[in-house]
Amino acid sequence: MRQGIGGMLQIRCENLHFRYSGKFAHSNFELNVGEFAPCGKCTAIMGNNGSGKTTLGKLVAGVLAPTSGFVYYDDVNIATLKLGEIGKQVGYLFQEPSRQIFAAKPLDEIALPLTLRGVDEGEAKEIAAKMLAKFDLSHIESSTTFNLSRGEKQRLAIAATMVMNPQFFVLDEPTTGLDKPRRHILADTLKAMMEEGMGIILISHDAQFVEDMGASVRHMEGGVMLDG
Amino acid sequence: MDNTAKNLPDPRIIFALVFATSTFAVIIRSDTVAMAGLLLITIICGLVLGVNFIKLSKRLKRLLQVMVIITLLQSIFRASGPVILYIGNFPLLTAGGVAMGVLVAFRFLIFLAGAFMFTLYPVRSLIQGMVQIKMPYELAYMVSIGIRFIPQFAESMQDSLTALQLRGMVFEELKFKKRMSIYSYLLLPTLMSALKQARELANSMDMRAFRANPKRTTFYTLRFKARDWVLLFCVALATGAITFAIFRYNFFTMIFGF
Ligand SMILES: Nc1ncnc2c1ncn2[C@@H]1O[C@H](COP(=O)(O)OP(=O)(O)OP(=O)(O)O)[C@@H](O)[C@H]1O
Ligand SMILES: [Mg+2]
Repeated sequence: MRQGIGGMLQIRCENLHFRYSGKFAHSNFELNVGEFAPCGKCTAIMGNNGSGKTTLGKLVAGVLAPTSGFVYYDDVNIATLKLGEIGKQVGYLFQEPSRQIFAAKPLDEIALPLTLRGVDEGEAKEIAAKMLAKFDLSHIESSTTFNLSRGEKQRLAIAATMVMNPQFFVLDEPTTGLDKPRRHILADTLKAMMEEGMGIILISHDAQFVEDMGASVRHMEGGVMLDG
Repeated sequence: MDNTAKNLPDPRIIFALVFATSTFAVIIRSDTVAMAGLLLITIICGLVLGVNFIKLSKRLKRLLQVMVIITLLQSIFRASGPVILYIGNFPLLTAGGVAMGVLVAFRFLIFLAGAFMFTLYPVRSLIQGMVQIKMPYELAYMVSIGIRFIPQFAESMQDSLTALQLRGMVFEELKFKKRMSIYSYLLLPTLMSALKQARELANSMDMRAFRANPKRTTFYTLRFKARDWVLLFCVALATGAITFAIFRYNFFTMIFGF
């Protein structure tokens, strides 16, 4: 298995093409990214609304399957992996946090996937509590998830994805709804994880955050990757 | 907005029909054959109206899967009568238990088939219909929430499963029991959040003046045609006949099981 920079999981798209299909998909949007590989540790993808950033993120995280072309993790074609196996390597933060929050209580949201991975329950709860503290969510540990504020949901979703310690992280607009201090906490946490070898694809409209992260920027327009 | 385009009867006929079938479905408590008959009648009505059951069932695949599981559980826990399946020495399935499980499943399918009939109509004509039968607006409103709720719920359930898999849960490798516990774990929060979303959606429609309240003058009113009167008469007649049959012949066995 070929390893990337500093043991980082190497993601590579080959001839990547995608078109929405199915009954409700009346859209003529076509994603034609061709060859694409994140460069360096943090690659930011920027572009106008509807340019295909989310679509690309979902393809990379295996949530969508390409119409043609391939996505590789190191040298493994992810079409051969089950979604759960992909999830063990790559974390994906949905653009809309309520789409990924499934539990009734924030603590469970973080602890449950850990127990499913074999961490024992007490320990999982402990880890979850620490993670909540990190994102300043301890006080809402046992509130009802779907009543949380937008920013709280966003932080919970980030914390819950982060705790799985992915080798690679695809973040779709992680700073939406976050206040300034929380953005700094997020940037610091992500940077610390990058130090430990995690790679990031950062989809964002937040130029300041992209700069703070020291990301190399790629632009998308109309389903196509510009420059680079 | 006009339901004559699709050549459908007035939505109020469907209210009467669904009200009757659902009421019977609730009343019948122990007679699986009667419930099967009722289901058949409901399905035939649906087919005549043009409900595409196959297409709709495909969309609700997960829900139907959950229903099969509930049926099984019902069959196991409401044991009675001769045993038909042992696991070792443990009597797992009994004839009475299976009959009970199937009865509950049929009841659910009758409700579902009724809901399917509503999907043939635009939401606005349903609400208008409810307001015109003098149903309190609040109730009409609840039902309109309900209509949005089902697809919302199915979608949220799918989302939750995707989210779990993206956090490294290999669903395909889990044991049956574990899978079930995950389903049941997801059920309540998904239900609650789908309900909340549906309510917010309805509120937002309301604020954008979709509200079909009586204070608002509207050109859109429903009128019974000759055919609708005939259909209403048929529904009433059938309801009467079934009610009579229940009381005359097997009231006690049907309702109390003795
Ligand atoms: N499920 C879908 N079915 C059909 N078309 C879709 C679907 N999801 C997205 N699209 C279309 O694909 C295009 C790209 O969407 P995408 O979500 O990737 O944009 P984006 O770059 O993430 O935009 P934003 O900045 O608003 O998040 C849009 O035109 C959108 O309408
Ligand atoms: Mg997007």
